[in-house]
Amino acid sequence: MLKFFINPNKFNNLADVITKPLFYLSIFALIIGLVFSLYLSPDDYQQGSTVRIMYIHVPSAYLALLTYFIMVIYSILSLAFRIPFGFIVNSAVAPIGAVFTLICIVSGSLWGKPMWGTWWVWDARLTSVAILFIMYLIIIFLNFSFENNIVRDKIVAVFIILGSINLPIIKFSVDWWNTLHQPASISKLSSPSIDSSMLIPLLIMMFAFTLIGLFIAIIRIKTEIMLRKNKA
Amino acid sequence: MINFFSKIIIYFYREYKTSMIGLNDLFVNLVFFFLSIFIFIFSIGSDKEILEITGIGIIWSLLLLSSTLSLKKYYDSDFNSGNLIMMHMNGFSYELIALIKVVSNFIFVQIPFLISIPIACLFVNIVFQKIILMLISFIIGSLILSCLGSISASMNLLNKKNYSLGSIIVMVLSIPVIIFSVGIINNEESFLSLIKILFGILFIFIAITPWFSAICIRLAIQNN
Repeated sequence: MLKFFINPNKFNNLADVITKPLFYLSIFALIIGLVFSLYLSPDDYQQGSTVRIMYIHVPSAYLALLTYFIMVIYSILSLAFRIPFGFIVNSAVAPIGAVFTLICIVSGSLWGKPMWGTWWVWDARLTSVAILFIMYLIIIFLNFSFENNIVRDKIVAVFIILGSINLPIIKFSVDWWNTLHQPASISKLSSPSIDSSMLIPLLIMMFAFTLIGLFIAIIRIKTEIMLRKNKA
Repeated sequence: MINFFSKIIIYFYREYKTSMIGLNDLFVNLVFFFLSIFIFIFSIGSDKEILEITGIGIIWSLLLLSSTLSLKKYYDSDFNSGNLIMMHMNGFSYELIALIKVVSNFIFVQIPFLISIPIACLFVNIVFQKIILMLISFIIGSLILSCLGSISASMNLLNKKNYSLGSIIVMVLSIPVIIFSVGIINNEESFLSLIKILFGILFIFIAITPWFSAICIRLAIQNN
């Protein structure tokens, strides 16, 4: 039943069906989320209106990590069980993750200038996210640099697994070190330390960003499958 | 069994011979190291107090950069001349070959830097106690750097388009090494805890490097 996760043909069939609904749904969710986050949500009592950067910053950070995590899972699957679809996903999805990481870094530094008084500080969370961005860039460059496709795919997969050391460091950096970046406030689902008037727009925006990422990923994976079929 | 060890010794002897032939390459690396220290000093200024603070960081980062210079000849010449396959046919697994390569890289490439560190420390005005700490941290750190070099050089065996990617990979992976080994020198009170972390990183890389390099060498040989 879940064959479309590992089989290119099944994936293509599914993608043909869900691409258009997904597009409209993501646009709809994005509009709803923007309305909620720009008009309906309250200002912060300290930060004023700058808090609205959060509705871009947090979803893109979450998607940057999620994309890398998906790539790690697909690399392990494809190396261990010889599923070539994982390689396709790896090379298709890496630029998406890079873009989300870049959005996260840029919006974070735009937020940091009025709040912390500086564009950039060298603390653990920011540095590890910057390293994640460099990892994404290396993966993209690796995808360009080999002539032999089999070698390229496997080496990219192995490098992704090697770079996955960075993921827990990013996640727990705010707990392990004293950083300027605030600790996690919505992942504690039992008692989130954020008010529901801000939590709801944030969750809508996260949903919308996920849908957009999924939409672009599906299109890129389809293109990648076509390219590889043409080459073969 | 004796036969096996004599093979390993012969292999080391061969590595020694090839590194003696390429001795001028090693001197170029050392010259690069010293010259870039001079350039740093010219650009920062020769103020003694500033150099005392920044010197350790400068020397460590330049050590890293100059060890990436010799990445090209890590596996490439052996791979192109077919020696890797010959050794594999002689009963060496690729994992063992990678391990031997790491050790021989440590001996023939990193040890000369170990000798030249005290001289470099004199230029940037570092006190004697810190030089000893620097040497200790470099012995562990350079083993890790050899492992990283093995990883990136084996990854780049069939990469004919942009070879400088290899040094970028080494630099990304060496960030924890730099952090902790400079931390050892600057915080002497937490020497023990930091050196334990450094040893931990070393053991992780010694464990994964042979496996990783063997995968990449095998792929390269199959698909060349």
